[in-house]
Amino acid sequence: MAPHPNSEATTVELPPVKLDPLAALLSFLIPGLGQVYQGRVGKGLLFFCGLYLLFFYGMWMGQWRNVWLPDATTLPDTGVFGKKFEGVLKSVGYRPQFLGQVWIGTAAWPAIYQYIKYDSTKDEGPVFGKFQRVPTEEQLNKLQRNSSKRWDLGWVYTVIAGVLNLLVIYDALAGPMFRDPPAAAGFDDAEVAGDAKLNADPPAADAMPLPMPHPLPETLPTTALLNPLGDIP
Amino acid sequence: MSAALLAVSIYWDLPILLVVVSLVYAATRHDRWDKILSEGFGWGARIALFLFGIGLTLFLLSTYL
Repeated sequence: MAPHPNSEATTVELPPVKLDPLAALLSFLIPGLGQVYQGRVGKGLLFFCGLYLLFFYGMWMGQWRNVWLPDATTLPDTGVFGKKFEGVLKSVGYRPQFLGQVWIGTAAWPAIYQYIKYDSTKDEGPVFGKFQRVPTEEQLNKLQRNSSKRWDLGWVYTVIAGVLNLLVIYDALAGPMFRDPPAAAGFDDAEVAGDAKLNADPPAADAMPLPMPHPLPETLPTTALLNPLGDIP
Repeated sequence: MSAALLAVSIYWDLPILLVVVSLVYAATRHDRWDKILSEGFGWGARIALFLFGIGLTLFLLSTYL
């Protein structure tokens, strides 16, 4: 089928995407902070509340014992394709969930601190105590034995929250997947002054430049007038 | 309603996951609230339908197979 003759008339030239690495970094530290920095406050709050709700709800489901990075120095070697993992990679090999959880940002940093300051002779770590500290084998066995499936499902929630924040970071870096024309987006104006203002004051005609539709040729075949789509015999 | 449904179950935790995933994903695709909400609702409905289908399939398999 031939393209609709008016399809080009509605095409709006969008400005090229401007990357914002600072906003991306802020959204990595705290979900939604980059969007707030860019002035997209409502979306930033949605990301902040949604992802922290999911992450800490998952931690609560896991009885606050499902975000950690183990000290793997005394554990057997792990690796891929015959190559042994060392240091942090080895620890991540024993707790791959942390690869997803870490993208939630500062909320998972206590686990990194506990990993760095881990002392097997002590029951608690400095500053954060037992928060995001690797549980002992005895504690893990007890949780597995005495808890419902909820305990095991909790870490899935925390991983999903972390991975979703990757999308949020990308949104801060390069904007949403589907961009609106600058005047049509109206996101910030609507937030500051309410949607009513946006509806009451339509943007000026020159605020949203639209390319002019192609002018009709001076001599147009009669069939084209009768059959503008060109696919009906 | 059966007592089993009211019991403490992992299924009661699913709505939070469903709502947050739908809204956050939709918000990474659009900037306008009307589009975020409508697409979020669409994703939520599709995920709920998918989960319900899986649940129903497993229930039927475990009951009649």
